[in-house]
Amino acid sequence: MPYHEFECSTCIPERKSHAVLKGEEDDLTTCLPEGHLATIPGTISERGCAYCGAKHVIGTPMKDAIHMSHGPVGCTYDTWQTKRYISDNDNFQLKYTHATDMKETHVVFGGMDLLKKNMIEAFKAHPNINRMTVYQTCASALIGDDMEAMAREVMKELPGTDIFVCNAPGFGGPSQSGGHHKINISWINEKVGTVEPKITSDYVINYVGDYNIQGDCEVMCDFFKRMGIQVLSTFTGNGSYDELRGMHRAHLNVLECARSAEYICNELRVKYGIPRLDIDGFGFGPLSESLMKVARFFGLEDRAQAIIDEEVARWKPELEWYKKRLTGVKVCLWPGGSKLWHWANAIHEEMGVEVVSLYTKFGHQGDMEKGIARAEVGTLAIDDPNELEGLEAMRMMKPDVIFTGVRPGEVAKKQRIQYLNAHAYHNGPYKGFEGWVRFARDIYNAHYSPIHQLSGIDISKDDFRIDKGFMTRQMISDVKLTPEEAHVEGETPYTGEFDCVTHLRTKTYPSDLARSTTAQAV
Amino acid sequence: MSCDLRAKERSGIINPIFTCQPCGAQYVSIGIKDCIAIVHGGQGCVMFVRMLFAQHFKDNFDIASSSLHEDSAVFGATGRVETAVDVLLARYPHVRVIPIITTCSTEIIGDDIEGVINKLNNGLLKEKYAGREVHLVAVHTPSFKGSMISGYDVAVESLVKAFAEQTTPNGKINLITGWVNPGDVTALKHLLAMMQIDATVLFEIESFDSPLMPDKSGVSHGETTVEDLKDTANAIGTIALNRYEGGKAAKYLEKKFKVPSVIGPSPIGIRNTDTFLKQLQAMSGKPIPEALVKERGIAIDAITDLAHMFFADKRVAIFGAPDLVISLAEFCIDMEMKPVLLLLGDDNSGYKKDDRIKALQANVDWDMEIIMNADLWELDDRIKNKGLKLDLIMGHSKGRWAAIDNNIPMVRVGFPTYDRAGLYRHPVVGYAGAIWLAEEIANTLFTDMEYKRNKEWLLNVW
Repeated sequence: MPYHEFECSTCIPERKSHAVLKGEEDDLTTCLPEGHLATIPGTISERGCAYCGAKHVIGTPMKDAIHMSHGPVGCTYDTWQTKRYISDNDNFQLKYTHATDMKETHVVFGGMDLLKKNMIEAFKAHPNINRMTVYQTCASALIGDDMEAMAREVMKELPGTDIFVCNAPGFGGPSQSGGHHKINISWINEKVGTVEPKITSDYVINYVGDYNIQGDCEVMCDFFKRMGIQVLSTFTGNGSYDELRGMHRAHLNVLECARSAEYICNELRVKYGIPRLDIDGFGFGPLSESLMKVARFFGLEDRAQAIIDEEVARWKPELEWYKKRLTGVKVCLWPGGSKLWHWANAIHEEMGVEVVSLYTKFGHQGDMEKGIARAEVGTLAIDDPNELEGLEAMRMMKPDVIFTGVRPGEVAKKQRIQYLNAHAYHNGPYKGFEGWVRFARDIYNAHYSPIHQLSGIDISKDDFRIDKGFMTRQMISDVKLTPEEAHVEGETPYTGEFDCVTHLRTKTYPSDLARSTTAQAV
Repeated sequence: MSCDLRAKERSGIINPIFTCQPCGAQYVSIGIKDCIAIVHGGQGCVMFVRMLFAQHFKDNFDIASSSLHEDSAVFGATGRVETAVDVLLARYPHVRVIPIITTCSTEIIGDDIEGVINKLNNGLLKEKYAGREVHLVAVHTPSFKGSMISGYDVAVESLVKAFAEQTTPNGKINLITGWVNPGDVTALKHLLAMMQIDATVLFEIESFDSPLMPDKSGVSHGETTVEDLKDTANAIGTIALNRYEGGKAAKYLEKKFKVPSVIGPSPIGIRNTDTFLKQLQAMSGKPIPEALVKERGIAIDAITDLAHMFFADKRVAIFGAPDLVISLAEFCIDMEMKPVLLLLGDDNSGYKKDDRIKALQANVDWDMEIIMNADLWELDDRIKNKGLKLDLIMGHSKGRWAAIDNNIPMVRVGFPTYDRAGLYRHPVVGYAGAIWLAEEIANTLFTDMEYKRNKEWLLNVW
């Protein structure tokens, strides 16, 4: 294995097998770091906990449920207002969070009564909401409160309510990934099949593993609806609690983030025989192919092709404008899990950037396999990176832009490396054809920022010019282009709006598309 | 007309004002030079707190985790602490201080932190790190007690206790700032300099606001040294600005080393800043200089332009850290505003005995409520469902939706304030803070008038 040993980690030899440098001859049999193993204490790893994987990543994007954590207040506070999973019902899930506020007395004498009181109070506070998800934390797990029993009691006392309990305490597993798994399994075991959904189309899917970050999910659902497909549920971005109870009636599970949500797709296949189709909403090529794959399942290829043609014609010239100017820009693709393989090849092919490093905080070896397979020679791939290794990697790979989280982004900033938020996005959504152009726009804006040019000047030492005046981004980026390359008829920077999602919420779709007999009418 | 003091009636929390104790201890730890704390618990207890600090300061702070996994929860996790200390020391040669901060999980499983520190001191540190000065300090902050505020208080006390050492009198004043921003420390140091007072500032966090340097050397980290902490026992006195964030340490120094202490009020607003200067004068014997009379005059000049024309009778709700909330309320009263709702976000039983709260209860001549153990639903519910009329909300960013959804202008103040740019750079303490607060309130109200077309023409002439 072409393992890469970081200088800062020579004193912890077990880290050596967690990074590889992809060489000329390497394939997956010769180049794969270890993954999803216990974290080494004290490394300043970037990993979170299983509770946040369950509650914060997957549970809370559900838009029409009260979300409650049974434990001390911190778990709730800390996972509130740190993500951008919006919804079309005025963002109830972003605005409200609930903690049972477990105190010492409950640790000693049990917190079940406290939990019950909390559930009743919360339903009373939100009279229009009668669905609830409740999460175990380290504290409630260790004292052994029977949360399911309390949920049953409350559901009995308050008819019409429904409560989902998820037991994924923070210490369950090496990272947030353990929580993804637990909530997937709990949801299918406890809730799927308990509501019979209304079927309105001959083509019915669940769209799984998208959390509607800045509207991603709504963008994707627009494509499906334009094809006449009924999206029975979205797991869980912009997702509705009761719609997700009816997942079992879909004809197909269309899976986006396989890291966080493949488990429920696999269970839906075993239990209800619903096939799983993995797709990819990022990038013109992968998205076009994905829409076509879904279409092929239902025999709707013509409709998919019409959408692809329309979207590509509208947005490709703008992507091309950016590709020219981003070609050769070096980036580190340092997200949480699945984006490392969703983006690795697509940004290289379609935006021209060079991915010099991949990392994953909570991915498994499977994610690394896909990422490394799609990465170029010379890529440094790191599993469960830590603070010092990240810094060393930046110095070694000298990226121009890093795609990562808020806090690691601040580390990069001080190294004079621009950052884009890979989890919450800068100005997304990034899915869809228009979204992909927005992503390119954000990378371009980061890399060619005039302030970034200024930040490298040491006014005490450098002989800097004072006769030059301002430089626009385009003056900076177009230096390396010939006039013919720079000015191509139709190619422009992004022309969309600041908000490209809200208008989708009032859009109507022809109902005749839903029937197979009208399939030829497009 | 009455001021009603009571605790929230509901048992749970809808939209918390505070996070839990370990966060407060982590905030203290980043104020110490050559210090990286280990939070003994699940990884989320660190990852999210670091994210919170990054959101507030737009900068990174290093804190380590013992990374508790399932096996540790079953079999005990002191071994994880031993590994964490070793790994941290091996990879960070500058580290001298490692606070070991407990959480709910490790307090429930009952890990013996003092025991493992003892073992490390006599084993690993002697053998592998012989000759290197390393201090391991236990900080017990079970999440099921108190809040981030008490966590801060506990951590300051634990660190002062661990280091304070009586040698020779240093003639300095210990200034325990409480949970403040870099801008506050700058303003406080300015007042000390004007008074020509030599002080040990706990904690020296001006450098949390660090530069992006051409040579990439900028780092956000506190500057309070082990020596500073040791020397606290030799001061002529301690002033703890916030009763609930550092008061414990001041009392400890008084009891143990006979260092006289003054606790509060937080120097927010003119009156409280006057008090602070008077306290400094009494403790140091140094006069209040003419230059501060001028500075105070500039603040009063600015507020006079605003108070009776724009602020009079404006109804305000304030939430956040107790010392901040109380002092802001007092300042609002001085500026002719009416604080009608104060939310104190934890179950500290001391609030009832707080003289400042008693004074509000005794003297306020309009209807006012002070809710203890409060959450943000106490605010939202009153506005949405109970007819509370407000002209202004003051508090931190987690309360932003109460303002946005109810169309009430809001001044961001306290911690965290991630939804406004650069607030950590501006002081709320001292005369400079009084000016900033008054003008921030005014400009927020002005923008609201214009946005809502509510007598927006008033500002045509001012």
